[in-house]
Amino acid sequence: MEAIYAIWQRDVLKFFRDKARLIGSFAMPFMFLILFGSGMSGAIGSMMGGEAASGPLSDFNFVEFMFPGIIGMTVFNTAIFSALSVVQDREFGYLREILVSPMSRTSIAIGKVLGGSTVALFQGLMMLVFVPFIGVTITIPIILKLIPVMFLVAFAISSIGLLIATSLKTSQGFQMVIQVLIFPMLFLSGALFPLSGMPAWMDFLVKINPLTYSVDMFKKIILQPEQMEPALREAMGLNLSIFNHVITFSEEILVVAVLSIIFVLFATIRFNRAEA
Amino acid sequence: MGHIVEVSGLKKRYKKFEAVTGVDLQVEEGEIFGFLGPNGAGKSTTINMLSTIIKPSEGKASINGYDIVEEKNKVRASIGLIFQESTLDEKLTANENLLLHCKFYGVAKDKRKERIQEVLEIVDLTDKRANIVETFSGGMKRRLEIARGLLHYPRVLFLDEPTVGLDPQTRNHIWEYILRLKKKAGITIFLTTHYMDEAEICDRVAVMDQGKLIALDTPDQLKTNVGGDIIEVETENNQAAEALLEEMYSVEVTAAGQALTFQVDKGSEFLVKFVKEFDIPICTVNLRRPTLNDVFLTLTGREIREETVSGKDKMKHLKRGPH
Ligand SMILES: Nc1ncnc2c1ncn2[C@@H]1O[C@H](COP(=O)(O)OP(=O)(O)OP(=O)(O)O)[C@@H](O)[C@H]1O
Ligand SMILES: [Mg+2]
Repeated sequence: MEAIYAIWQRDVLKFFRDKARLIGSFAMPFMFLILFGSGMSGAIGSMMGGEAASGPLSDFNFVEFMFPGIIGMTVFNTAIFSALSVVQDREFGYLREILVSPMSRTSIAIGKVLGGSTVALFQGLMMLVFVPFIGVTITIPIILKLIPVMFLVAFAISSIGLLIATSLKTSQGFQMVIQVLIFPMLFLSGALFPLSGMPAWMDFLVKINPLTYSVDMFKKIILQPEQMEPALREAMGLNLSIFNHVITFSEEILVVAVLSIIFVLFATIRFNRAEA
Repeated sequence: MGHIVEVSGLKKRYKKFEAVTGVDLQVEEGEIFGFLGPNGAGKSTTINMLSTIIKPSEGKASINGYDIVEEKNKVRASIGLIFQESTLDEKLTANENLLLHCKFYGVAKDKRKERIQEVLEIVDLTDKRANIVETFSGGMKRRLEIARGLLHYPRVLFLDEPTVGLDPQTRNHIWEYILRLKKKAGITIFLTTHYMDEAEICDRVAVMDQGKLIALDTPDQLKTNVGGDIIEVETENNQAAEALLEEMYSVEVTAAGQALTFQVDKGSEFLVKFVKEFDIPICTVNLRRPTLNDVFLTLTGREIREETVSGKDKMKHLKRGPH
């Protein structure tokens, strides 16, 4: 227990100490929301009938649509890059200090994943500073619901990160692999544009992407689709379904939880075999 | 049984290459045991096996009575390790590095503060405890690592080239700390070095070359085994002189740099005779007691060459120095 705590504490401490990284972490989401989001708003608006649009579709606000996706993206990025610390610790030698101690490898792996999850949770919560500029309403109950979900998602993704980090020797290698992984996962998750009317093969990729369910959970919490007109909900791609079954929030929780367990198990086994 | 470190037939193979080709040794409790050898001799590989970092390909070893393969965690709790490369977290303060180590090794909560204070005093870093390690000099980092290695009261402290890349003054300091440690804590110290003068300080020295031990004894005994005194001579024609020396005195001559080196039994008497009767003009001549370098030279026909800093060492130096 003490070991898990020590490993966790180190990562969290270093996260809050690195002010440049803290501030820099706002840059990406900011650009996506302002440049991409505002730009796309106009385009999508006119596609849906422009000024002449009538009824529920005139309520379609692209920036608002994107916001849960941006939170998802931030949590995802931070969580997966948190594992970079393992590769860096190997490069700078600190991994040896950790690995030659009598701590069990399993505790170390779990401490690392929990550290990454915590950092990603904080980073995700920090995105809420954009709320006043976007026009979504976020209440305390929404935040309280968001926190455990963010943590669960972050836990799953950090485990994937650790799994990859344990297999790679250099930070360049790690960053390469992550870049190649991150973009398709993000684009095929519904974080950046509504997923509707896609070709079948793409639809398949979307459905096997764990991020899809993560982002959808954030959307369900923040956008509250149950209060929307059905047509608008459809346009925003909020009716995620498999084989004509509309997936519920609890089912998504279950999917991500099961994936977390699988990934953390693999990561731990892999880490147990790591050489110092 | 009964020895704090016990090693028999230890081997390490990398693919086809045998880095360590069979090491046998015992270390007594409380002793300073030195591993001397040139770059690539297999010193680090041996230490890494003993400290459970890498798995031996063959052979057995125990530390504090625990087997290094079967009882890894007990071995890990019994040893302190200072690696050849720095393993500090440079983004954290000295105190944070030490505190984390306490947690990693399960030092009880109420003892941590006191222990940290104690080890910081041993290495004279008490006033630097709140500083970020990044701002430390190479020597300070090394001292901090030594302090950290002591926090959990190990029975054996392994030091892999504790002074490489440090200036002579800092090297002396580190040695003061190591000797102070031996006196105060009574722990066993197992270190590697390729500096002769450092090996001289050890209680016993194992000389390693190309993966095996070629000698193991006290520094004095090793030097006595070399026999007589060492004569170093420079002449106007070293090539001719070498042949002539071998012919006249039937000694084994080694050319090292400008000088020719050979051994004789009674150095002073030989010198008088030699200067009078040698035909080739002599530039300089020097008589001295054998050093560990001569031990190595006699055993292998090569010098350890401590004066040439290898590229690897330079890199280590850069890594450890302030950024
Ligand atoms: N992981 C590895 N794979 C293959 N060969 C290795 C590996 N590690 C070490 N070696 C080889 O084993 C030999 C012994 O290396 P080792 O690091 O033990 O030497 P050393 O005595 O510590 O030298 P130095 O004074 O340079 O630190 C070297 O020839 C080295 O190239
Ligand atoms: Mg070495």
